[in-house]
Amino acid sequence: MLFLTICDYSSLVIDIFCDNPGEAGEDNAVACFYFDSGAQKEQSAMNVLGALLKQVVSSLDQIPEEITDEFRRHKKFIGGRDLQLSEIVMMLGSVSSTQRTFLFLDALDECAGPDRDKVLLSLKDIIEMSPTTRVFLTGRPYVGDEVAKHFPEGTTLLSISPPTEDIIRYIRAKLAEGISSGEMDLELESEILEEIPENASEM
Amino acid sequence: MYSSHDIAVADHRSEILTWLSPLEPHLRHNDIRKNRVMGVGDWLFCTEEFHSWKNGNGQGESQKAAIFCSGNPGVGKTYIR
Repeated sequence: MLFLTICDYSSLVIDIFCDNPGEAGEDNAVACFYFDSGAQKEQSAMNVLGALLKQVVSSLDQIPEEITDEFRRHKKFIGGRDLQLSEIVMMLGSVSSTQRTFLFLDALDECAGPDRDKVLLSLKDIIEMSPTTRVFLTGRPYVGDEVAKHFPEGTTLLSISPPTEDIIRYIRAKLAEGISSGEMDLELESEILEEIPENASEM
Repeated sequence: MYSSHDIAVADHRSEILTWLSPLEPHLRHNDIRKNRVMGVGDWLFCTEEFHSWKNGNGQGESQKAAIFCSGNPGVGKTYIR
């Protein structure tokens, strides 16, 4: 079975940002969330934004005072009080504006409709508070209109259709993983490498 | 050696981070990156769309804060059943 999926691309872009400091030499704050249709309960808008905030805050040497203050305030309630989505959005917008921040959300189509709407609205609010923050989103094409609607300044649309070289590279690597050298008939290998990319590009 | 003060600060930090979210999305990221094939996707970084999004600062021509990459869920897997 071959699985060259869009999350392979997301994870690659995330690593590039994690490994390369910004132009002025400062580190970028990078946070990601991979949606999974099998984990709907976990991925409410609040959990998603909370997970992004946690990652951005983790990258700082010190937790910002406004967050520790908020934490103390919530602890005063018996058993502690849970955060609200609006509070998370405020904190994320504020902390993102102190450094160059990149937020990655993979497979938006795997997030339930009402939560997806809240996630996109929250991202819009964050960008309003922190205009240098960049958001990288992936998903099946039909989610594109919803995304565009939420970002009034416009959204760059990029269609990911893996070029033939990617498909060949991927198949070659997967064939090499499963079969020890010499076991694969060379003729069969070249036939696979020729046929699959041709058919994949027609999809 | 860590002082008791350092340990208390570290405990407090981890308590706050867990309060922000109990989820650990970087674990999924690590799983995905383990299965990635070297060189696949490099072309994406050469596209003009990617560059202008990455270098945008929210002003003038580079104000588009969001990039949406659309694609179908898999390629090879749809073909090889």
